[in-house]
Amino acid sequence: MISHKYNPILSRRQMLASCGVGMGMVGLQPLLAESTSSSYSSKQPHHKPVAKHVIHIFLNGGLSHIDTFDPKPLLDKYNGKPLPIENLETERATGNAYASPFKFRKHGESGIEVSEIFPHTAANIDDICVIRSAYADVPNHEPSFLLWNCGEARLPRPSMGSWVTYGLGTENQNLPGFVALCPQGLPTQGVENWRSSFLPGAFQGVHVDTQFSEVEKLIENIKNGQFDDRSQRKQLDLLAAFNRRHLEQRGFDPALEAQIQSFELAYRMQTEAAEAFNLSDEPQYIHDMYGDTVQSKTMLTARRLVERGVRFVQVWYSGGQPWDNHDNINIHATLAKNIDQGIGALIRDLKQRGLLEETLILCGGEFGRTPTVELPRPVLNAGKQLGRDHNHYGFSVWMAGGGIKGGTVYGSTDETGWKAEENPVHVHDIHATMLHQLGFNHERFTYRHAGRDFRLTDVHGHVIHDILN
Amino acid sequence: MQSVDFSRDVLPILSNKCFVCHGPSSEDPDQLRLDTEALATSDRGGYRAIDQAKPNKSAVLERLHSADEPMPPADAEKQLTDSERAILSAWVKQGGKYTKHWAFVAPVITPTKSAPDATGSAALDAYIKDALKAAKASLHKPADKTTIARRVSLVLTGLPPELDVLNAYLADDSDSAYETLVDTLLASPRYGEHQARFWLDAVRYGDTHGLHLDNRRGIYPYRDWVIGAMNDNLPLDTFIRWQLAGDLLPNPTLEQRVATGFVRMNPSTAEGGAIPAEFQAKNNFDRTETLGTVLLGMTLTCARCHTHKYDPITQTEYYQLFAFFNSTAENSMDGNSYTYAPILHAPKDQAGWIQWKQIERDRLALINASDKDVRKSLAENEGALTAWNNGGLDEKLALLADPHGGLKESTHHQKAVFIKAAIDTASKEFTTTLVTKDLDKPRETKILRRGEYNLPIGDALEPGVLSVMGTLPEDAPKNRLGLSDWLLSDEHPLVSRVLVNRIWQRVFGHAIVRTPEDFGLQGQHPTHPELLDWLAVELRQTDWNLKAMLKMMVMSDTFRQSSSRRRDLDDPENTLFGRGPSYRLDAEALRDIGLWSSGLMDPHMGGEGVKPYQPAGMWKALAHPGSNTKQYVQDKGALLYRRSIYIYWKRTSPHPMMTLFDAPDRESSCVRRARTNTALQSLGLLNEIQRIEMAHGVAERLLKQADSTEERLDLLFKLLTSRSPTKREAEACNTLLSIMLERFEAAPNDALELLAIGENTRDESLDAETLAAWTQIAVTVLASDPAILVY
Repeated sequence: MISHKYNPILSRRQMLASCGVGMGMVGLQPLLAESTSSSYSSKQPHHKPVAKHVIHIFLNGGLSHIDTFDPKPLLDKYNGKPLPIENLETERATGNAYASPFKFRKHGESGIEVSEIFPHTAANIDDICVIRSAYADVPNHEPSFLLWNCGEARLPRPSMGSWVTYGLGTENQNLPGFVALCPQGLPTQGVENWRSSFLPGAFQGVHVDTQFSEVEKLIENIKNGQFDDRSQRKQLDLLAAFNRRHLEQRGFDPALEAQIQSFELAYRMQTEAAEAFNLSDEPQYIHDMYGDTVQSKTMLTARRLVERGVRFVQVWYSGGQPWDNHDNINIHATLAKNIDQGIGALIRDLKQRGLLEETLILCGGEFGRTPTVELPRPVLNAGKQLGRDHNHYGFSVWMAGGGIKGGTVYGSTDETGWKAEENPVHVHDIHATMLHQLGFNHERFTYRHAGRDFRLTDVHGHVIHDILN
Repeated sequence: MQSVDFSRDVLPILSNKCFVCHGPSSEDPDQLRLDTEALATSDRGGYRAIDQAKPNKSAVLERLHSADEPMPPADAEKQLTDSERAILSAWVKQGGKYTKHWAFVAPVITPTKSAPDATGSAALDAYIKDALKAAKASLHKPADKTTIARRVSLVLTGLPPELDVLNAYLADDSDSAYETLVDTLLASPRYGEHQARFWLDAVRYGDTHGLHLDNRRGIYPYRDWVIGAMNDNLPLDTFIRWQLAGDLLPNPTLEQRVATGFVRMNPSTAEGGAIPAEFQAKNNFDRTETLGTVLLGMTLTCARCHTHKYDPITQTEYYQLFAFFNSTAENSMDGNSYTYAPILHAPKDQAGWIQWKQIERDRLALINASDKDVRKSLAENEGALTAWNNGGLDEKLALLADPHGGLKESTHHQKAVFIKAAIDTASKEFTTTLVTKDLDKPRETKILRRGEYNLPIGDALEPGVLSVMGTLPEDAPKNRLGLSDWLLSDEHPLVSRVLVNRIWQRVFGHAIVRTPEDFGLQGQHPTHPELLDWLAVELRQTDWNLKAMLKMMVMSDTFRQSSSRRRDLDDPENTLFGRGPSYRLDAEALRDIGLWSSGLMDPHMGGEGVKPYQPAGMWKALAHPGSNTKQYVQDKGALLYRRSIYIYWKRTSPHPMMTLFDAPDRESSCVRRARTNTALQSLGLLNEIQRIEMAHGVAERLLKQADSTEERLDLLFKLLTSRSPTKREAEACNTLLSIMLERFEAAPNDALELLAIGENTRDESLDAETLAAWTQIAVTVLASDPAILVY
């Protein structure tokens, strides 16, 4: 969208004078203001956004669609026997059809079928749109993580959260605009999942390990142990006095004004960041609603951040890639148990606070899993035949809130669950749709780097209008 | 509409809005091309897009304003604005003449109207004043003496003036006082440390390989050489030639070969499964494109895969430029090795370099002085004479110093023995550094289709240069030495402009071409084209003398203006340079000022990168388990207090206090740093360990060197702002001081805790509560605008 005349970093003033596209795009230029105001200020996108916040729940490792959101009765018929179609090529060898050990049941007015391991999520199914025809590019974790988070599997690109924060700024100047919540270590591919790449560093996700609760472990230099609040306030008063005097002497200068504001923000952050991550001031019924696993608490933290105006929250299940159940799909039940109540509570809680309409939730893994059983290999799956391999040809993700049509199913996989068949949805299409809901035309939302304009969706992506309210 | 300038007004529009279809990369032979005059004006079957004979008949005019068949088409992504349409129409009506893009025409001097005969700073000022005059303005009032002393010191050395230098300047009422100050600063060893930083950003200097394991890389002698070259004021053309091709010079010296570390500066990998041929290509893409940014001010990356969309650079020319680097001898994979060959042994710090350069000078003087005598005494001994005549400096010295050779009686023998011993002793202390060497037989280079290493097409290419910037000089060899001849020739349109633009940028805060990385069609037009050209010519004519160029700039009235905003001039971006520079200092300067004012700064120059305090786990969080840089082992003692240019630069995780204040990662070239302002910076300035430790150091100094509160505040302000505090500032400090004293007296343990931060132990002869209170004053003033900005 950036309409350069011949200068990639136009001044705000030049921009207004030289581009005929109108005021709406001005806000998209935080860099213009990099030396004159905080790059974080709230900004206006291309069109009126429906959603203002995003929570991306990443079930890292690869959620099996066949065992959760995409029932396949055909597998019961062929269980233990070869499928009538040939197995597709995945990371490892797979064998006969493998029926889900979990039961499916219809839920809500929409009657969408969900497996028994996600009862709390299923209770909110009328607010959810299940996309059963998602697909990605390769059956490997690392590139698929990056594809989902950064729109590109191999090269360093900014993550979606960076793009969105770059485009919209934040609503809370006292907190980072983009937060990656991940308990117990880093997910596979680590910080690259929330990197800002060539976007300014201010838009990088701030990683918070939610197994901790002390704010000092969350934000560097946040506390000065030697100061009580009063002395710190006095220190800042002195600083402000100096800076004001400097400003007065030089006349109007937005850069100097911003400098003064930064210290005040830092001061407020010391209180507000601590407050945002402190779950103890939530009433008991809220704690009961979310449950007490670390995953459920992370969901509660996500809600608190969104409530305080944080733009983009990634919620990771935990470090590594726990959903990668090659040798025993029954583990899915335990994993789901830890997070399902939190997910259900998050949707209800956002709804009761009137925040669901403006908060877009995306939930899913980096790919699905095979309808066929993974064949045992020495060491790897210890002779057991209870697991599934990676499957990027077709799988399910779901979205809710933020103007997404609830109680709907979009697309399907083939009868076996191998491959997206009706209305296939690529990761780029989901990105395009999310940006659309946030007020962006994904084809015009660009950033100039190394001589060309880059997009989150590169040269791909179509908005899925059918799932929008 | 007034007369339209093709290069300034029209070409940017054509480039940005039209060339995407009607430009150099168009593959359809029938497609109209607007990038060259001949094609744009050719007969297209009874009509011409641009008809220079009958401008009003030009088809372009009709299409520009056509409702039915508009151009650009209605669905084109980039539409013209009304004013752009008007400019294009006016240009066509004026005859549609093309001129070359300004940056591809060699700079020539256009004397100023107001002072055509002026030279030096006066000429510089005349260019600025003439442009201001056109805006009905003149230069701003001069900055006061203390402000300008601090400003010039920060610009030249990255530190405020030493108190004795400052006091001498303030006490000097003569006309030459300022010049004396400038000369003192230019002669300071701190000058080279500061100026080298900008070059290290541009060449992406780092202490690790950058990719995969991001292991240690031994190349810091290069960094120290750059600092030394700045302090020695090595002419910039020589500086560049040695870096590009020092190894190809006849009998290259150690310095000349260490300088070729420049070519080796690309990030590298040794990842299992990585394909050597692919990295052979990638390493050289990186070098070619870095050359483009650093010396040509051109984005070349487009031409890696196809003809450049905007600038007249073909894919073939890209690969011809690439070919200069494609014959280097190193393995394309780094083996995760510190000594990624070829390497050389070189001095391990600046003192070592200074000593080594002296030895080399002595050796050269000796060989030159002895040449005549030696030839005479070896006249009878043909073998030895040939050895002498054909030998390099090393061999000649060996002959002269040989205790059993034919020259042992020579009057120069003793001196030779002495120098040889000095060489042997010095080299024992050497460390290793990556350097460049060429293969005996050049590696073949072909165009790579879409930039894919495994899709070479066409015939092998000879190394060659970008034709829009001239040709390789006739007698120039087709290697990196020839490349440097082309770059540094008087006819080259870009190199001197690009260099002088960046020198201007670091003196005045903003460059003349505000896209210093792109002088091409998509770059910005210079704010003062004639000034830029004059400076470029001046740089060459003064033998590429950087100190002289900087001196001329800082001696100008333009530089010495007050930086306060003006009510009489509406120019928020200071594009007219009608006021002095004002900006937040770079990360390194912020830290260095704290270290320097506290007296903690260790003046040692050079050596392996140092590792000051940083939060635990930063490297580990990012690093590969097999990496030898996954553990950050913080240094102890004096190493904690070296200047920031010596901080260890791990490319995947540079020091957080550097990146917090916009230092680049050094994985790719950076010729202009961002200047952001975030609350995390504020938190860093007030709470980070080293900031507290510096403030503690400053406080001790104040308590020891001054007796009264008034004198202490005066010293504090002199150090950081080069002036005394105002009455209001002093009062504000006094208020905080009494609150702090009260607070620490009530809680003496807090004082001890504060003073225990950092490794520097407290002076127990000083009262802890008083020291703690002053520490808080110091940390605050150190973080204030008067201390962290240039103004």
